[in-house]
Amino acid sequence: MSLNTVLAVIFVIAAPFIGGLLTGLDRRITARMQSRVGPPLTQPFYDFIKLWGKQPFIASRFQPMLALGYLAFILTGLILLAFGQDLLHIIFTLTLADICLIAAAYNSKSPYSNLGGRRELLTMLSYEPLMVLTAICVQVITGTFLVKGIFEYGRPLLLVVPAAYVAQQLVLVIDMKKSPFDVAGSGHAHQELVRGVYTEFSGYTLALVEAAHWTKLVFILSLVSLFWAQNLLVGAGLALLLWFVAIVIDNVYPRLNWKTMLKTTWSVGFFLILSNFVALIILEVV
Amino acid sequence: MKLMTKARLKSPWVLHYDCGSCNGCDIEILAALTPRFDAERFGIVNIGDPKQADILLVTGPANKRNYKVLQNLYSQMPEPKVVVVVGTCGCTGGVFHNCPNVLGGVDKVIPVDVYVPGCAARAEQIVDGVVLALQKLAAKSERMEEER
Amino acid sequence: MNGEFLLALTVILPVFTGLLILISGKSITKIVVPLMALVLGTSSILILRGGEFSYSPDPVFQSVVMILDIVLLVYFLFVGFKEENYLVLLLSGTQALMVGYFELAGGGGHGGSVIIVDGLSTVLLLIINIVGSIVCLYALSYMDEHEEHLHLERSRQPRFFFFLLLLLGAMNGLVASNNLFWLYFFWEVTTLCCFELIRHDGGEIAEANADRALWMGLVGGVALLGALYIGNFHFHTISMDVLISKQPSHLLLVAFSLMAVAAFTKSAQLPFQSWLLGAMVAPTPVSAQLHSSTMVNVGVFLILRFVPAIGGTYLTYGIALVGVFTFMFTAIVALSQRFSKAILAYSTIGNLGLIIFCAAMNTPHAYTAALILLVFHSMSKGLLFLCAGVIENRLHSRNIEDWEGLLERLPLTTVVMVTGITSMILPMFGVLLGKWAAVGVASSAPMLIAMAMITMMVVGSSATTLFWAKWLGNFTILPITENRLKLEKLPLGFSFSMLLILALDVVASLGSGFLIQTVVFPAVAPHYDIVWSPGLLGISSQLGSFMILPLWVAIAITIVGGMMLMRVKGGEIKPAYMSGENVEGNPIAFRSTADSVVDYRIAGMFFDPEVTENRWNPWGTMAGILMNLLVLGLVMV
Repeated sequence: MSLNTVLAVIFVIAAPFIGGLLTGLDRRITARMQSRVGPPLTQPFYDFIKLWGKQPFIASRFQPMLALGYLAFILTGLILLAFGQDLLHIIFTLTLADICLIAAAYNSKSPYSNLGGRRELLTMLSYEPLMVLTAICVQVITGTFLVKGIFEYGRPLLLVVPAAYVAQQLVLVIDMKKSPFDVAGSGHAHQELVRGVYTEFSGYTLALVEAAHWTKLVFILSLVSLFWAQNLLVGAGLALLLWFVAIVIDNVYPRLNWKTMLKTTWSVGFFLILSNFVALIILEVV
Repeated sequence: MKLMTKARLKSPWVLHYDCGSCNGCDIEILAALTPRFDAERFGIVNIGDPKQADILLVTGPANKRNYKVLQNLYSQMPEPKVVVVVGTCGCTGGVFHNCPNVLGGVDKVIPVDVYVPGCAARAEQIVDGVVLALQKLAAKSERMEEER
Repeated sequence: MNGEFLLALTVILPVFTGLLILISGKSITKIVVPLMALVLGTSSILILRGGEFSYSPDPVFQSVVMILDIVLLVYFLFVGFKEENYLVLLLSGTQALMVGYFELAGGGGHGGSVIIVDGLSTVLLLIINIVGSIVCLYALSYMDEHEEHLHLERSRQPRFFFFLLLLLGAMNGLVASNNLFWLYFFWEVTTLCCFELIRHDGGEIAEANADRALWMGLVGGVALLGALYIGNFHFHTISMDVLISKQPSHLLLVAFSLMAVAAFTKSAQLPFQSWLLGAMVAPTPVSAQLHSSTMVNVGVFLILRFVPAIGGTYLTYGIALVGVFTFMFTAIVALSQRFSKAILAYSTIGNLGLIIFCAAMNTPHAYTAALILLVFHSMSKGLLFLCAGVIENRLHSRNIEDWEGLLERLPLTTVVMVTGITSMILPMFGVLLGKWAAVGVASSAPMLIAMAMITMMVVGSSATTLFWAKWLGNFTILPITENRLKLEKLPLGFSFSMLLILALDVVASLGSGFLIQTVVFPAVAPHYDIVWSPGLLGISSQLGSFMILPLWVAIAITIVGGMMLMRVKGGEIKPAYMSGENVEGNPIAFRSTADSVVDYRIAGMFFDPEVTENRWNPWGTMAGILMNLLVLGLVMV
């Protein structure tokens, strides 16, 4: 058992907890931005425990399995990431997790849930290409999709493909379910289509989804921290910077519709990254 | 106090339903969520979904038009749950008591745990009512845990 | 059992069985077709184990092929004359003249074997004889139901099975042919079968679509003859292996570009996509056979065959452009489609475009990726068509909006179809392995080209995920029910074929490492270095890794964990949240105005009017024509 393996295992186990704390911090910061006090930092954990203890109501026989699948596949992606595997493959695993959530949302004949599921599909359509493009950037620059290629490359990715870093901001805003792109189901204290894709979840199934959310947050922040792989503390700082900016954006912008989300992410994302490529070609980096 | 009960007290999610109120109490409820009173610091979130709510906050008198909705929402809330009625209309029917379509207070339709009188009930009283509801929630929670 | 015998078996046995059915009638089909399927499947596996071989049959067979070809051309002329289709007359007439001149000029070329069965041929033989045979088994049950549905008095199944089996035999001959004339002959036999099968049910629409398939196929035949002419009269050889090993010169590239156009017609790439969409009117086994396992793979096969010869030329990038653009275009148009077979057809065209893209990008990684996609796509698409046919027959509707809540009515078919859909978009299955590799191909390209390729790839792959997931969501919408699922009764032909392909797909995905080593590498090795390392967990290469096994482990944990959760925590199944207006005893209704009870319905998302077939197809066709001209013109560079 090498040190790397041990660290990877610790990281994966700690991820949901770190994600929960970050979510609590998120609520606190949001509250302070709104001249309020806000809940304690451990609030998400109280939420989780309370949800686990609720009388179980489910929408269908398959819902618990699909909710568990959502969490399981995000964890799988995180494990693959922690062991330095293929970025593109990891992104596809994330798609798998999302499809589980969407299938769970469609699994009951509920108007809010079904519409939420459809919106969640469109959300996935909006941010996934940006992540794939980023993975492609990594491959073009380092020569491989494997995470270890980023470590072996030598220069921080932020200095080579800053456009991809900026594009990750959009990804984070969407994934954290923050305005303006929380069309499928918002974070706490907001309502969209009642609870959108989460409407028919309750009790322990919702607890699983919450835990999956925290893990996914850590997952995406970990991906962003690879932009300064040479010093992961700096990388984490970069990730937390985007996270903080997402909270600011959330408090500034109202919710926009899915067409705007799709148009914005695709046009901004493709334009930024392709321009970056052109710059790299001109500067003869690739 | 066991961990589960503590968690339930720390994370009461609210479903707010207007049964036919003039909106005065509803405005006060929303005021309780604003920065001045900031109910969110207690973990209170206005979740719109009964399946995810612990506290049902009802305003307005129960009437023939919406008692089915009220019952449906109450049945879609999982245990442990408490009902807080805000405003005199919800307690007894208030000014609308004895009107043709009015059944009376909300307790004519669903079991109520806490009554917050007032027309309109003030935001501080609503917060007090919720705190009292949390005590009742704790008692229900302890009973639930014992039965397990 | 030597290879020559087995190959001859795979060509002649289906034809013989078809003739037998034509003569004896439908009663023997349920006996001879399964037997034939067993023999074909086994033969292809034995050929795999036997390894490569090549031979030239007795010269009398050359004459047989020539005579049969003339008969075929006469028949095409007759069809053109009868239908007053001038395009068909023109094209088949051109072919007749070209063949006639070729024969009179002492055509035949020198050097090279007539038959070569190498790694690539073996891959195709496996697909044709395994997936193709399973489709024939499916057809046994399907045609009975189909004819009952049409209230046919006299069964037309003998004719149907004759052409279906003839198609199999011709395909087997095609992928083994090294002699360009034999290749062209078998190619046109598949065009014949395609034509006859599409118009099997008769009627104006079927006839029109069959005619379109015919003339597009004939265009391909003319292009092939053009390549044949260049080979014969300029290079004095009509053997593919000899042509491929030559140094590329302008004229040789012209020959290859003509072959590329022929491949585009057969694989329904832009602008030739309309015949495949029109083939939907045919009975489902036809669609399955044409669209997944056999016919369309022929075009891809041809490209895979000659592409090693054109590495580094502009032609290869031109062909790749056609492929990836078709992929993107069809993925977007599929978003607007409401009919199951239309979605499947567009998806097929798109995936073939992706395979062509990979093949034409001409790197070791790309060639391997193309083969992987080919193998897995055939299985997944075959499966999907089979299930779609079963559902269509029972629901009498192709509109996917009517396909809601099928889990209760048709649990087995729904589960198999849903698994089929997930096999197209989720990383546990081989198709995603191919997609992952394809993205790597795009990003590894020379930079300026890469940018265009990457954009189209990402757009296309996002759109494909969306339309598949959209359909998947539709399937899983079900009303709240406590009832235990009761398996529906399916005819043996259906359940056996569906479950067999499903099992094959799952086993192949789990064992993709083994599959790649035994089947794909022998096809890659003669032309490129081996750059993939298949292992137990998945595939790895310098480009990255694709771990399939961990995902299956995660799935197993999820399923077991989910069942345990249900047992430990369980849960009362509650109706949906409908703002408190649920109706007692009716899980999908709510109280609307004046207390009326209304059933909740959700319509699908089809992106009209922004994306409609009518609006987009002309642009796609035009783009396709331009790109094909580019392909033909790039050889001048």
